[in-house]
Amino acid sequence: MSLRIGVVGAGGFGRAIAQSSARRGHEVLLWSRQARELPDPIRTSTDTADLLDCELVFIAVPARHAVSAAEQLGEVVDGRHLMVHVSRGLVGADLKTITKVIREKTVCRRIGALAGPLVADALAEGRPSGAILGTGFPELTEMVRDAIGGAGLRIYDTTDVVGVELASATVGFLTVVLGYAQEIGVEPGTVAVLATRGMVEISRIGQTLGAKESTFLGLAGLGDLIAAVAGDQRPEFRLGRAMARGADLRTAIGEVGAYVEGIEVARHLMEHAQRHGLETPISSTFVAVAEGRMSSDDAIQALMERRVGKE
Amino acid sequence: MLKRFLSERPLRLPHIKPYVPRPSDPSIFWFNSERDDVVSDVVKRICTAHESDRGRLEMALNDAAFHEIRRLERQRDEEARERLGYWRSMIRRIGKMEDSEQRRVLHTIVTDMTRDVAGNFDPRVYRFARRAVPRLVGGVMEPRRLTKDLMASSPEALGRVLRVQGDLDHLRYLQNEGSLVFVPTHSSNLDSIVLAQALEISGLPPVVYGAGKNLFTNPIISFFMHNLGAYRVDRRIRVSLYKDILKLYSQVMIERGYHSLFFPGGTRSRSGMIERHLKLGLLGSAVEAFTTNRVRRIDRPVWFVPTTINYALVLEAETLIKDWLMEEGQARYIIEDDEFSQIDRWIAFFRKVVGMRGACIIRFGEPIDPFGNRLDGNGESITPTGRVIDPGGYVEQRGEPVIDPARDAAYTRELGEVLAQRYEEDTVLMSTQVVAHVLYRDLVQSTPGMDLFARLRLRGGIGLDRETLRQELGEARDRLRELEGKGRVRTSDVVKEDTPDELLERALTFWNGYHDSTAATLEGNRVILGDPSLLLYYQNRLVPFAEDIASPEQLQAACEIENLGVYR
Repeated sequence: MSLRIGVVGAGGFGRAIAQSSARRGHEVLLWSRQARELPDPIRTSTDTADLLDCELVFIAVPARHAVSAAEQLGEVVDGRHLMVHVSRGLVGADLKTITKVIREKTVCRRIGALAGPLVADALAEGRPSGAILGTGFPELTEMVRDAIGGAGLRIYDTTDVVGVELASATVGFLTVVLGYAQEIGVEPGTVAVLATRGMVEISRIGQTLGAKESTFLGLAGLGDLIAAVAGDQRPEFRLGRAMARGADLRTAIGEVGAYVEGIEVARHLMEHAQRHGLETPISSTFVAVAEGRMSSDDAIQALMERRVGKE
Repeated sequence: MLKRFLSERPLRLPHIKPYVPRPSDPSIFWFNSERDDVVSDVVKRICTAHESDRGRLEMALNDAAFHEIRRLERQRDEEARERLGYWRSMIRRIGKMEDSEQRRVLHTIVTDMTRDVAGNFDPRVYRFARRAVPRLVGGVMEPRRLTKDLMASSPEALGRVLRVQGDLDHLRYLQNEGSLVFVPTHSSNLDSIVLAQALEISGLPPVVYGAGKNLFTNPIISFFMHNLGAYRVDRRIRVSLYKDILKLYSQVMIERGYHSLFFPGGTRSRSGMIERHLKLGLLGSAVEAFTTNRVRRIDRPVWFVPTTINYALVLEAETLIKDWLMEEGQARYIIEDDEFSQIDRWIAFFRKVVGMRGACIIRFGEPIDPFGNRLDGNGESITPTGRVIDPGGYVEQRGEPVIDPARDAAYTRELGEVLAQRYEEDTVLMSTQVVAHVLYRDLVQSTPGMDLFARLRLRGGIGLDRETLRQELGEARDRLRELEGKGRVRTSDVVKEDTPDELLERALTFWNGYHDSTAATLEGNRVILGDPSLLLYYQNRLVPFAEDIASPEQLQAACEIENLGVYR
């Protein structure tokens, strides 16, 4: 049965969702702040009121625009609407997840977070890929599979919504670290140590925020990180490489030409970890490097000199 | 023998001159005429759910027999002598039974269990109780005034001790428009009594509630509980069918418009912390009641009233914190030997609190719909910006309301989170809690790195300068005021108005002389810390706010205190 699908945001991911849904025979309306032209049968609008008739709404805007997008949607949607976001960020110093923002600003409750190694191009072109949907509502999973899943996209699901969102956001930061490490020429084995121990660190932080460890080891965490290292051209990875070449953070972001949420998230994560007395050597060291307080050689030395314990 | 007789067949008044309810009476006044219908509705739904699938039916019978045999073998009492034979014989025959016999056995078990659960409501008992209870409680508090209070129209002692807060006009309006479900925090076995009194003095209706069967063994309490709408919950019974019956009984009552009450914390907060992890079974029954009515095209709203019960002095504080600290504490679900069962502790408790202004504050929070939305004055669900929405939309699929247990379970989990958040915002911090927090934080600060249990052994070893303490109390209070301004928490009038010295003295007066151990004592210009576990219990109410009210020097200690809430 054809669904009425709304997509908020006309960036790469928003357009990919709209194309994928339309290809599967659903009615699609793409909303953006500025008027856009998209190929038929995708309709476009700049009026959020047009989303009222949609059953399922995808929010595909960066975390820094999530609050205002949710506020605008809050004026239109109600309990009938099901909503999914694909943002990889968190909001503010208190590490607020996007589903929490949606919950605060709208009355939607059937909410989910789509994450994992899925990239916009593969989705738009229907190339085989996989993703993970965090939601407590099985009917939402079914609807998202109906909307964009199928032979080209395997969508797994979990009820650990906060885990999916935290893993997705923190993998962004870890990707920057690995991009940096590769550029300075560390061995593959060292990259593997940084990746796996870094994942342990962020999962430890995630657990204090209510996430499950297993989610970090699944598609939302490790799966996503493998895709990043395997070379799906993430901006985070390029940012790490640019920093390793000596660019300061601002210049590196300019070089990449895309907004990277990972660094901001990392700073707030470190503050949170400190408050809870958690050890996060890799993340803390890299934040020090990113802020120019430590050289890359000193960073590697500091990490290697730490006492080794059980895994 | 008598205990069992009373718990299974509570006394009822004879049917001479029964009370005929008036249209203006609360819905529960009609309950007795509907009771059999409620029981058969519950039995029918449970049996229908099991009968269509032989595997499920057989599993339910086996589960019932297995758990009942285990329970009765442990009990070794009169009930065991009577019933063990039945269950043992049944468990041997289940596999050989024809379908029709299995269905008949299921029907018998479910009917017996539902009848045992179902409550009773006698308006005559209700009228008597609403006049007598406050006077009796007042009499316990001030024996000299007992005779006067029994004659007077409004007993003063209870009024001085118990304060009610919240938008009572709104709740009084809503009681006639839908089903109210009161969901309070739970600190003491006195909660039901205090809450019933708060409803009464606020002009709010009597409610249906579940009460542990162990409470029915006291003939007087059993008589009142049984005749005032309480349904019996036997926590010893582990049978799945029984849990289904309890939930469905609650659901059917809410569907039919009876106002209800249950404690989502499940049991009294052992630690003294504000409940965070709520039990979702009964909450779910209210959400499903809303859905079922919508599917049947009955537009009867269900509203939750987050309620906090705030005591400056907790009757069972010492037993509760001891229980929390013991590893096996988690498993000790029913405590039968605490202060609640000792009448001398009751009297000591009431005498202590009577002289203390506002020793108990009940706060009825802003009501919400089953999906956590706020309501406008007319009981309509609204968005954060005040737009009216139809809550029925939440249970629709493609425009039609449908039953979907998995979806409702997810709504219930979310509702649990909303309630936990509302408990924090509606908690009224009392003098003893604020003082205990400042004292305990000083203890943590002066013993860095020490583990919780080592710290709790430091009785009498730590002394604090009174002037420093005065300053810290003042600062903590100021920061709490700021949090109150942001809607994060509330403080009692006493906390707002007392000077730091008065706060300290008030807290010491509350604790000392009632609790067996001493929380702290004054020695000249020094405050000597007594039993840290008692301080821990009272200060635990402030765990979510510890970091916000700490100065930079106190931050580390505050974080350590906050972590109590994270890991426990």
